[in-house]
Amino acid sequence: MKEIKQIIEAFEQARMGGWKTALATVVHVEGSSYRAPGARMLIREDGLLTSAISGGCLEGDALRKALMVIMQGRPLLVTYNTTDGADEAIGIHLGCNGVIRVLIEPIDPETSIHPIILLKKAVEQKEEVVLVTLFSLENYRDTRQGTRLLVKKGDVLNETAFHLTCKSDHQRLSCFESRMLKDIKKVFEVAQSLFITYQGADQQGTAKEMSATDYQSDPMSDPITAFLEYVKPAISLVIAGAGNDVIPVVQMAGWMGWETTLIDGRPNYAHAGRFSGCQIIVAAPESAYLDEVVGSRSACLLMSHNYDYDKAMLRRLSEYPVTYIGMLGPRKKFERIMRELKAEGVSFSDEQLSGLYGPVGLDIGAETAEEIACSVIAEINMAFSTGTGKPLSTLPGRIHHRDTDILNTVQGISK
Amino acid sequence: MNLPIYLDYNATTPCDPRVVADMLPYFTEHCGNAASKDHSFGWMAGDAVESAREEVAQLVGASSRNIIFTSGATEAVNTALKGIATANVRKGNHIITAKTEHRSVLDSCAYLEENGCRVTYLDVGNDGIVSVESVENALTPDTFCIALMYANNETGVINPIQEIGAFAKEHGICFFCDATQAAGKIAVDVNRDNMDVVAFSAHKMYGPKGIGALYIREGAPGINISPLIHGGGHERGLRSGTLNVPGIVGFGKAASLCRQEMLRDSTRLQPLRDLMEEKFLNEIPGALVNGRKDRLPHVLNISFPDTDNEQLLLSLSKYLAMSRGSACSSNTQKPSHVLKAMGLTDEQAGHAIRISLGRFNTAEEVLFATDVIKKAVQKKRTAFAE
Repeated sequence: MKEIKQIIEAFEQARMGGWKTALATVVHVEGSSYRAPGARMLIREDGLLTSAISGGCLEGDALRKALMVIMQGRPLLVTYNTTDGADEAIGIHLGCNGVIRVLIEPIDPETSIHPIILLKKAVEQKEEVVLVTLFSLENYRDTRQGTRLLVKKGDVLNETAFHLTCKSDHQRLSCFESRMLKDIKKVFEVAQSLFITYQGADQQGTAKEMSATDYQSDPMSDPITAFLEYVKPAISLVIAGAGNDVIPVVQMAGWMGWETTLIDGRPNYAHAGRFSGCQIIVAAPESAYLDEVVGSRSACLLMSHNYDYDKAMLRRLSEYPVTYIGMLGPRKKFERIMRELKAEGVSFSDEQLSGLYGPVGLDIGAETAEEIACSVIAEINMAFSTGTGKPLSTLPGRIHHRDTDILNTVQGISK
Repeated sequence: MNLPIYLDYNATTPCDPRVVADMLPYFTEHCGNAASKDHSFGWMAGDAVESAREEVAQLVGASSRNIIFTSGATEAVNTALKGIATANVRKGNHIITAKTEHRSVLDSCAYLEENGCRVTYLDVGNDGIVSVESVENALTPDTFCIALMYANNETGVINPIQEIGAFAKEHGICFFCDATQAAGKIAVDVNRDNMDVVAFSAHKMYGPKGIGALYIREGAPGINISPLIHGGGHERGLRSGTLNVPGIVGFGKAASLCRQEMLRDSTRLQPLRDLMEEKFLNEIPGALVNGRKDRLPHVLNISFPDTDNEQLLLSLSKYLAMSRGSACSSNTQKPSHVLKAMGLTDEQAGHAIRISLGRFNTAEEVLFATDVIKKAVQKKRTAFAE
């Protein structure tokens, strides 16, 4: 999310300066790679890069390809194959062992819908969205390739889900539309990205929009692969407390790209001079307005060093479906607060209970405020992912478990 | 003015439209194989090849019977060096070349080293020029070949070919010269320059890519070159394979045009190059020309302190096409072996860019380029200093 925001910002700057740009997106990987599908980089025509698509080894070549894409004004799929060392010829030696596919598309800021607008809309959503980027495994110059479509949950089976793309794209995608919409629904169900190749027009589409001869000759029905990217909204961090130990937490959250809200009753502690770049609410727990602040993508930290304040805040949070609540302090304090709340009639669902972390943080031997912040931020990242919090060196198998099989609609994924 | 402006003529030149016009019929109506002896298509093709051979030979003051066509200069260099080495197995095993040679020569020499040859890679001075004395000093009883380039591809610096050739002649040693950057740009004459074997290429002189030539002196010392490619006995058995007739026709036309126009081209380009150089030296503090003494009239290799050449070139790619050195190694981060041989450090070599002008550059373009480069360097240097 932070990456996307940086790209949007860089694009706006480029547009104001009159620079042309291209967007590079990792659309697919096989084997191991540093960055997963969905990693993006913005290339400005003077060679300025924003964000990254690899650990630094692909950027030099991708930059040159992107400058060419900007000049030619048409998309290009670049495949980096590091499994046989053949790409060493162009100066790449990754030490990885995989195939990385990068789509580089020119951005025309004059069009009403372009990739950056879709990214912007994706970032604005407070809920999950599916971002569709098309690429072709058969023709790396296929002009249909690009960041094409953004779909919100619930809109899926609705024809108007395509309203976010421009009309011409709609037409060009129309022959795959009904199957793609079903697959997008599937992405929301399984809550992970899918890669699906579409081949041939929809039966329905064939009958409705084109004759059998059109189908034979229409290059629009050539196979095209969709990276149906499941995009979760950014984590938002809510911190009760504004002491000195919160300062590094807010800073690190900023590096992570998380939106942070601070709640504390003391205006001389909770002010922008001490905490920049975050929203500050000066209020008692009972009166703080949380509806717009706390949601399923929120992580809440109780760090007020004030027993009653933390307890009152936890009581308020019991009303929300929060994924993560961490409480600073010893286990005894946490257990006592939980006992007292229970006696006072406050109940937590099993789901809520599994998201309660007291004492807060991973066991990394943290002592100083910075070390504690590090341990807490790491734990939150773990809670919102499938990570275990253990050293990778002690875990068997691969670091990332990325399901990147390319499915074919013919095989019946859409059922 | 069309952007980007092409300023990389040492990498390759655009085909002259007059060359393309002459080539076109040989793709279609004159489709014959020059080796077909029994019909008019073959005769026409064969005739076109021979008149092209005549033009190519004339450009370097040679007789057409001593020219063979290859796929390009790299193949010509390989054929020459490997062939000369094979033919001289009994005579000796020592080659003299220089550190600033093109990769095709250096890599061929490295291959020969693996196969029993000894190679002396001469140092050059700060001016990039190979001195006659250094060649003399490197001579051994085993020396059978001196292989030196006419003009350097990265700096345009010209070696004292005539003197070196005379020295080789005096000692009965085969003198091979890679004249790829010089032929068609300045006067090259196999007899005046005492060269025995010469490689050059069409695409550096406004001809097509994929066609080159090798001049081999008759009866020169120890020259009985054996071919790299066998089959069919084309080109007197030295380079088998169906002749690239359109390419050869284009090469012929390009050579003929260069013979007539190279003086006019260089007389026009040199003042433009000099003006550009002067502006850089006067207006960019610390700017340094790499190789200035004796060089091709259209080439400028210049270092701008505190700028990264790769970054500079990419950031200007919208406006200008220039290079860091030779096109072959442009995609890797290795510093130029030529500039290093001239005494530059890796870091200094990282500040250098090569500008090479050509027939189709206008004065307006060169002035525009000078301005764009100057501004970009000044801007980068400000950013670099921060």
